[in-house]
Order: sequence, then structure tokens, then C-alpha cells
Amino acid sequence: MEFTLKYKDLNEKREIPHEDYTIKDLLDELELSAQTVVSKQNGELVIEDTQIREDDEIQIVQIIYGG
Amino acid sequence: MQCSKCGNPKVIYKREQSGQLLCKDCFIESIEKKVIKTVKKEKLLDKGDKVLVALSGGKDSVTTLEILNSFREMNVIDLCAVTVDEGIANYRQEGVDIAKRHAERFGIEHKVVSLKEDYGITLDEIMQRPNHKGSCTYCGVFRRTIINKAAREMGATKIATGHNLDDEVQGIMMNYLEGNTDNLTKLGAKTESHAEEFTVKIKPLREIPEREIGLYVVAKELEVHFDSCPYAMQSFRGEVSEVINQLAEKHPTIKYSTLRGYDKIKGVLKKEMQKEYAHGRCKRCGEPSANELCKACSFLEELGV
Repeated sequence: MEFTLKYKDLNEKREIPHEDYTIKDLLDELELSAQTVVSKQNGELVIEDTQIREDDEIQIVQIIYGG
Repeated sequence: MQCSKCGNPKVIYKREQSGQLLCKDCFIESIEKKVIKTVKKEKLLDKGDKVLVALSGGKDSVTTLEILNSFREMNVIDLCAVTVDEGIANYRQEGVDIAKRHAERFGIEHKVVSLKEDYGITLDEIMQRPNHKGSCTYCGVFRRTIINKAAREMGATKIATGHNLDDEVQGIMMNYLEGNTDNLTKLGAKTESHAEEFTVKIKPLREIPEREIGLYVVAKELEVHFDSCPYAMQSFRGEVSEVINQLAEKHPTIKYSTLRGYDKIKGVLKKEMQKEYAHGRCKRCGEPSANELCKACSFLEELGV
């Protein structure tokens, strides 16, 4: 089971590692703080508790930069 | 899971401090209502004001323009904008272009002023000098002077900046940690100077967390310049911001309580600690100044410009 991740220049297929895999889990893997990004699932804004499903397109938009 | 206000199942935001869940429309409405509430509570606008928005093209200034425009549509105020081009390669131009497009979208008077044209030097060039005082020191002073001059030239009665809750809390903590009681008296929703030549500054987004402004522009599909100033990480502000954000993860109301606490003591602080400055003119540029040279011109003299 795969999904597509779009983040900055990244556009890649990734495995869904387990059931109940959420955007929050993905952000933790990418070492991104939920405070600095917003997430879209198939083009629509969602909260980080949202579960990632097969063939989803997950886009992460950085809205806060350091400093 | 559904929106706490309208029941829509498409929730886009969870407010950590209250547990409130919001759909896109209710989230956008909540931000706009809160800004309007701040404007009214703090009496930031008077009917007939011409408000100059300091428009960088970033999320905060674009949101400020977007929401203040609702007062323009009601014929309460008029709007204009100024964008400062500090001369930072591979960073500033995109913001300038975006600012131009927003000004055109609203059909408002817009001016772009560059440090190079006004002072003959860019921030990049200053940063190549040995013994410089740090990018934010120059940028802050030159930008303030340019914006204040533009306000006078454009006949503005107020200057609106995009300072958000995070900026304001960082300002409070930075000045406290540095023991800078004078600067601590100058924060707040509305800052006025005794000198007539300084236009009143207002901060309509002062109670909105930075992250909510980021989400607002994405939800409203507003074009903004999302990027980091290449000099940002060199600042003390960056360090203070990091500490506050770490604390906020466990204590989600800490930014609001810091702001509220400051607002409670501000009156006493101003009364006890505010310095009275002499009202003179800078002998080099004629801008209002407490000393022979204004801050901007004393930097220019040091830089040999």
C-alpha cells in the first residue's frame, strides 16, 4: 500500500507502514513540527490526526520558517 | 469528528488551547472576526483614516491587507501600501512581485522603496563589511525610517504592520531578558510617538498565532512569499522564539498569557519607565531625531556611505 508525498521539491511514492498511519506519524518521520506546516490530503486541508489511505496524495506546506 | 461551530465533518484545524475543531469556512471566519474584534477593542482605526500597510508579500502583511480591506469596502478607511526592498539576493524580489500583485488586485496606491536607491547600499553589501552590527539591527532601523517617510509622503494617518501573537510575545520576552525597559514600554497594539512626524503604528494581527495566519493564507488560497530570510537565524529573536515554541508545546496557552500579562502591566511600565526624548531633527536627513544624527544616518556614517 502506497501514497504520494509532496513536500518542497520532493514528489515520491512511500509505503504506508501500518494501519492507522496518520499525517502526524509522517511528520514525525520527516522530523517536521506540526507547528510549522499545514497538510493537504488529496488537495484538501486536513488536521494531523488524519489517517493516510492507499493512493492518497499528501502535500505538506511549510508556513513558518526558522528565525 | 466535526466542526465545533457548524457540524461540517471536514475539519482543518484543532485549537490546542481550547480543543475547538474548525472547518475551513468557520476557521477563516474566526480569524477575520478576531482581527476585527482587536481593531475595535484597541480602537486601532478611526473613520476616514488612510492606512499604509507595510507589505512585504509574506503571510502576515498579506493577511493584514486582506482583512483591513473589509473596512475599506465599508468606506471606513482608505488603504495604501509600501514595500521595502532591503537588497537581499535570491530572497526579496519574489516578495516584492507578490506585493505588487496584491496592491493591483485591490487597486490601491503602492510604492516600492529600495535601500540601494534611498541609501546607496544594500543589506547584502552591509553584511560584507567587517564589524557590522548584525543584519536585523540595520534592517529594522532602515525599514522603520523608510516606512515612516512613505507614510508622510502618501498622506497616511496610520501604519499597519503584520506583527502576530508570536512576534509580540518574542518582543516582550526579548526586551525583558535584555533588561531593555525602554523598548518594553513601546510594545502594544497601537504605538504613538510624541513627535508629529511619526505616524501612529497599529498591529491588527497581534492576537493571532503565527501558525493560524499561515493556515489562513493557505485556506484562502492567497498568494504569499513563504521563505526564510537568509539572515534570520543569526538573530536573538530566533533563539527566543525557539524557547517559547518549546514551552508552548506543553503549555498551549502560554503565548496568550504572556501577552495578557504584559497588557496588564503596560500602563504602569509606561508611567514609570518611559523615557522622554528630545524632539530635534537629524542634521543629515532632517528626519525627527533625539540626537544630532538619527539612527539610520549614524549607521550610514559608520558605514562611510
